[in-house]
Amino acid sequence: MKDDLNIVGKRVVRSDSLAKVTGEARYTADLTFPGMLVAKVLRSPYPHAKIVGIDVSKALKVPGVKAAVSGFDSYGVKWGVFRYTQDHAMLHTDKVRYIGEDVAAVAAVDEETAMEALSRIKVDYEPLPAVFDPFESMKDGAPQIHEQYKNNINIHINIDVGEVDRAMEKAYLVREDTFKAAGEAYAMMEPYAVVASFKNGYLDLYMPNAGPHVRAKALSNMLKLPLNRVRIRHINSGGAFGGRSEVAPGDLVASLLAIKSGRPVKLVLSREENATSSRQVHDIIATIKTGMKKDGTILAKDYKVIYDGGAYSSTGPIATSIPFYVYEECYRFPNVRYNGYRVFTNKGIRGMYGCHGRAFLAGNEAQMDVMAKELGLDPVDVRLKNGLKSGEMTATKSKITSCGLKETIMTASEKTNFRKRWAKPSRLKGVGMGCVAIMCGFPMGFRSGSSCYVKINDDGQVTLVTGLVDNGQGNESMVIQVASEVLGVPMADINLVNADTEVTNLDPGAYSQAAAFVGANAVRVACENAREKIVAIAAEKLKVKVKDVGLKDGSAYSLKNPDKKMPISWVVREAFFRGEPITGTGSFFPNIDFEREWVTRPWGQMAGTFSFGTSIAEVNIDGETGKITMPRFTSAHDCGRAINPMAVEGQMEGSIQQAGVAAITEGNLWDGGYLLNPNLLEYKVPLACDMPDMDTIIVSSRDPAGPFGAKEGGLTVRMNAYSAVACAVANATGELFSELPLTPDRVMKMLERKKGVKG
Amino acid sequence: MKTIKVSFNINNEDVALDVRPYETLLETLRERLFLTGAKEACGLGACGACTVVVNGIPLRSCLVLTPEVEGATITTVEGLREDGKLHPLQETFMEKGAVQCGFCTSGMIMTAKALLDRKKKPTKKEIVTTISSNICRCTGYKKIVEAVEEAAKRMATA
Repeated sequence: MKDDLNIVGKRVVRSDSLAKVTGEARYTADLTFPGMLVAKVLRSPYPHAKIVGIDVSKALKVPGVKAAVSGFDSYGVKWGVFRYTQDHAMLHTDKVRYIGEDVAAVAAVDEETAMEALSRIKVDYEPLPAVFDPFESMKDGAPQIHEQYKNNINIHINIDVGEVDRAMEKAYLVREDTFKAAGEAYAMMEPYAVVASFKNGYLDLYMPNAGPHVRAKALSNMLKLPLNRVRIRHINSGGAFGGRSEVAPGDLVASLLAIKSGRPVKLVLSREENATSSRQVHDIIATIKTGMKKDGTILAKDYKVIYDGGAYSSTGPIATSIPFYVYEECYRFPNVRYNGYRVFTNKGIRGMYGCHGRAFLAGNEAQMDVMAKELGLDPVDVRLKNGLKSGEMTATKSKITSCGLKETIMTASEKTNFRKRWAKPSRLKGVGMGCVAIMCGFPMGFRSGSSCYVKINDDGQVTLVTGLVDNGQGNESMVIQVASEVLGVPMADINLVNADTEVTNLDPGAYSQAAAFVGANAVRVACENAREKIVAIAAEKLKVKVKDVGLKDGSAYSLKNPDKKMPISWVVREAFFRGEPITGTGSFFPNIDFEREWVTRPWGQMAGTFSFGTSIAEVNIDGETGKITMPRFTSAHDCGRAINPMAVEGQMEGSIQQAGVAAITEGNLWDGGYLLNPNLLEYKVPLACDMPDMDTIIVSSRDPAGPFGAKEGGLTVRMNAYSAVACAVANATGELFSELPLTPDRVMKMLERKKGVKG
Repeated sequence: MKTIKVSFNINNEDVALDVRPYETLLETLRERLFLTGAKEACGLGACGACTVVVNGIPLRSCLVLTPEVEGATITTVEGLREDGKLHPLQETFMEKGAVQCGFCTSGMIMTAKALLDRKKKPTKKEIVTTISSNICRCTGYKKIVEAVEEAAKRMATA
């Protein structure tokens, strides 16, 4: 691979940042259209109740109200990512299953009128017994939340490789621990918002989303409209973190109101509604049994993991599997058994999260350190010994094609003097290490690939068209940078038209870590396609061989004699004369085993490639209060190649905040079905003053299939930072954690447990 | 409905409006003046995404009633450019990679602007403390702090 790159690998200013620093960037709530109405949603006050009747007639009589809807105005089509998980109608007519569930909605000329109308809607409920704890929920006789799921078990994933029981018997050291973690809030800064309008049978929608194409498909099913009559348009997204991956109840509500009223409708949720009634994160209880040889080799793993799934299936099978996979993609498990149960409770709808699975992942890593200590081994050596290498297969038969795990472990530990400090922790100070691997895109059938169309305009400027979406991580700028590299045109001369379902083609979206490896790859292929056409004409005109033509700064030139050159715009005009405009199309479809199925066939190639990462946290504990402070945090991440190192660092730093510091501060608190901390005063998103000094290290493994060698950038930190914190606290206290977040009261209990053992 | 007359100067322009008595400054900015740079992210003063500078002080416009700003001088993110030239903070936020999703950016920049206007050479600690009034969910704040430090340098030498 040629390495003399002009722009890929450079710390470039992101293409989207000018609009964002001037306040010009438009987000959904910023939109206004003539005649636009304000929508408000009536929500369930009960965690579980039968709906006897909904009467919106009095609401419709309020002057200024233009439409009122309930589930009786929809087709009742139930959404689910898989055929066997279709259980969420978004507006139900039979019963409500969580506090805050959408029941009815109005659209009116202003907010006051809409609120007045909401108070006139009459809903007759018959309250039902509710269940909030997944263990209670699985018991015989527990309230049944959905008829079709026995014992409220939504999904059971069973993976069984090798002979776990025999291997456990042979192991020198066996340990079993249970770890819990509260679900976090996505707390993306932009609360859920949507603007819908319906004209001539065509539905038009703006909302922050992580995958417009899959969203349009869901809405086309629910509204019984052909796909080309549901248009999801491009708009900036104020963060997603997994919370905007799926179709939302508000999408359907706003669409129905727009269809009924014939006017544009805007629905913006409050911060509290965003927490209770958009997606939530799973609470997890993970029981982890590990068998190790005397030399630290992992012989067997036996897992039982319970996911509190809330009221509906959502991404059920995926959410129940991902924590396991990102771990088995990191380490060699000759024998492994995984039983993951996703259990319904009367709590909000739950989806995937960028940091999904912290009880499981932090539990595994912290337990590994305790076992290493018992065996007199160094945790760095144990990780290196068990870590997968390029060319190896995971337990469930995914091949690793590029792997910088070892380099991430070595650089991070050397930079922090980890081995020495871990072996001799000073009082109440500790260091901890967490490792993980991330699949770059997971199987989504024919939606797993991405396509791009590029045209070069007659002034030499470029228009890129792709379904790729950006939720703030910089995907848009990334593909402009890739196109700039291939076409030799400055980034400023490239315009991106993206994430608009009537213009762009399928793309896996920005929630499976596929944007760099899949989306940017499609852009690269399309631009290479256009480049060939440019070069052919330029070679002819410059009278040089095709292989001797270079493209740079908007010109085609002779590599042997750079003074011999012509603007690309001339080439483009010549192409128009020939009736063959310079356009390019390109697709990228990752090498995935599509026989793979999350429940029935959980093996085969999971993704085209995997990224790797190691984080190291340094913590100090206040022995009087149990408060943890974190002076430094170091992360090393193998992202193949950083297309924009500044953007990758930003992802890593954000992940240290959202997974690392969050391991101390963040967790949803419940009283039965009531979410106690739905706002940003009581839910503690880490602030600037909470942050450690951060050292981010980018490791390049140059993936053979990635665009310029790139893989996903940053997510490993999102899934290993809490492990590093949990391990550091174990190192400082000599005790394993039992529950995240590591609030002062829990840390005090750990310290007391330690004292108890000594005494 | 009863309305209240209020006039103030915003981004170097005098405006006179009739507003609802309970209308927040954030609503006035976004819905009457179409200055949508200030964002509503929490609605209770916890996050700072709606921060604008009123008489030199960074205020959360979701907590301010518009009738309260009678006679005030207000700057929003849209008013930072001078003669088409970006404010140093706008430049450094871009150059340092301090912007990701962008939803907190306007408020963050306005909070930092108010700091740099009253303190020419803030220490790193002062910057960290000041911007700890604003929540960013994306960046981990490191590049924001670097951007404010760099902007302070540029403004000192300008």
